[in-house]
Amino acid sequence: MSEPELSSAAESASLERGYRRLLAFYPTAFRRENEEEILAVLLACAQDGQTRPSLEASVDLLKGAMRMRLRPRPGQPRTVFAAVRLMWLGAAAELAALITIIVTAGAVRSAVLHADPAAGHALLDHLVADVVGAPIAIGVWLFLAWANSKGRDSARLASAASFCLLTLSLVGALVQGAVAYAPADMIAAAVLWLVAVGAVVLIFVPASNRYYRPREAVLI
Amino acid sequence: MQEATFLILTALAAGTQHGYGIISDVAEISDGRVKLLAGTLYTALDRLREDGLIGVDREEIVDNRLRRYYRLTPEGEKRLAAEAARLQAHATAALRRLKLNLAGGVA
Repeated sequence: MSEPELSSAAESASLERGYRRLLAFYPTAFRRENEEEILAVLLACAQDGQTRPSLEASVDLLKGAMRMRLRPRPGQPRTVFAAVRLMWLGAAAELAALITIIVTAGAVRSAVLHADPAAGHALLDHLVADVVGAPIAIGVWLFLAWANSKGRDSARLASAASFCLLTLSLVGALVQGAVAYAPADMIAAAVLWLVAVGAVVLIFVPASNRYYRPREAVLI
Repeated sequence: MQEATFLILTALAAGTQHGYGIISDVAEISDGRVKLLAGTLYTALDRLREDGLIGVDREEIVDNRLRRYYRLTPEGEKRLAAEAARLQAHATAALRRLKLNLAGGVA
């Protein structure tokens, strides 16, 4: 049996919905300016009877959305853009660390429990803390990246505060002698700290200042 | 300058065009080799507008759909001319080294 035939209006409505879903990945300002026009072009390029976006067009739209989002905003100094990219890098590094911990947890756990049951339990607590803490850290990195890229002055303060917390936790771990029992952990923490130093320095250099304005000053 | 950007500016060098018109024109200029897709075209147009190389000439509503016409700005013309001269210089050098006769193909 053949499929029930769609009227051409229904086909084009279904295709339009599909394209709108893809266009939703673009930044709001870009959509406000261009969505209707892009849609007109996409529909003009469609084949007769097409009800779903083609793979080729979909991939191209998603690549474009990513390009738009990775591009500096108008008026954004290079320093701020570089800082925002470092914050994404921080989030990505946390995610990589989280995946490594989850993937290796079983092997590490049985090895340590086998060698020294007492140390094994302490290590498990440590692993659980890492698994719970990493998603929070990823969220903080992403939030700070977003807020800094918008030029909110409070984002700079929040970044500086987060940096202080990160430094304190690193110093705390060093004092407890973490270098001896978890060298890989400490190397990862040190790399993240360096990324954070880079980001914080970049948002406070003079070239970045003009981009950050307190909300009140904007209103005046 | 990326090839897509170069071809978009070239399409606009002849006069104002709307999005779909640019796509067909670029296909024609490149002998069907470059098929611009909407995502590529509009991220490029957005960047070119931001850089002041193109501008919006006028907007029309056709079949209830927005149609925007773009034009090259004087700055865009300058950049396209400079890029075309650069590409031509490179192509000339390549052909000369390959010992091809540029004057009309007679060896």
